[in-house]
Amino acid sequence: MELTDRETWTALHGMVFGALFLLAFAGGLAGLWSLRPEWVTLTGLQERMFRLKAGVATMAIVAWVTVATGTFVVYPWYRDPPPVPQGGKFTDLPLDVQQDFPRAVLLNTPGKEEWHKFGMEWKEHVAWVSPILATVVAFIVLYYGNQLIVDKKLRYASMALFVAAFAAAAIAGLLGAFITKAAPLQ
Amino acid sequence: MATIRYEREGGGKVDEIAWQAQELKVVERPNGPAAAAMIAGAIGVLVLGFLTTLNEASTDAHDFLEFWKSVGPLSGKTLIAVGAFLGSWLVLAPLLWRRNVALNTVLLVTAVLITGGFIGTFPKFFELFA
Repeated sequence: MELTDRETWTALHGMVFGALFLLAFAGGLAGLWSLRPEWVTLTGLQERMFRLKAGVATMAIVAWVTVATGTFVVYPWYRDPPPVPQGGKFTDLPLDVQQDFPRAVLLNTPGKEEWHKFGMEWKEHVAWVSPILATVVAFIVLYYGNQLIVDKKLRYASMALFVAAFAAAAIAGLLGAFITKAAPLQ
Repeated sequence: MATIRYEREGGGKVDEIAWQAQELKVVERPNGPAAAAMIAGAIGVLVLGFLTTLNEASTDAHDFLEFWKSVGPLSGKTLIAVGAFLGSWLVLAPLLWRRNVALNTVLLVTAVLITGGFIGTFPKFFELFA
């Protein structure tokens, strides 16, 4: 049982960093939602605020690491052009060679083209929305801190941006999982 | 002040927690810095969507955006979008730092820009320009 370099980086990108971001989202949203003086004590609010600050800052960093590894480490392997001889076809290559080129596998397998043309094309772009918006939310939480407890409008705006960051990451994560199933990076 | 009181089966009442009014100190800061961050983030998202669509519409743009051959034009699209986000934040933050702005307007502008960016990254949309 072992993982190749490519499988290790793919797992780090999707199953460690990406999954960490998606899992932490629920905690962050609950933290923002419950910043209400009528629900908890002052001590409780201060404890939640510390946890929220640490959580959103970590999420923003994890989001950047996820898209950076995905785009600049894993994606080049995905889109690597196959060594098709002049005048030849991708499907002429031996099967064990074909499987090293996931993009070409998808585009040359009937019924799987849309996983690249729609799935990967959307995933590779929309994923970058997530760290940008997560950074904005992290800044607001870190800079305003306790003010978010009393400033409802700013708190709701932060929550909306947080949900948009999550939506982008969820789309990218879901499509990434399906694409990896359709043509694994090995 | 509120008290949680429960009765034991064998008799007797217990006041478990007594809540007391407490003071929360908040130093109110102007909303300008938040507005600057939100608009800058939305600009970054819009630029990403715009470049994604432009890459399909123009081969010159496609070639220009290919900062790294192994990554293709995605390298240029993402790095320029991040640059637009950070650059516009750098410009807007000092301008709005000590100001209070109409947050509803900022939220509306932010929502419109982000929606535009999302649409620009959607394949069924940008393929219309291919």
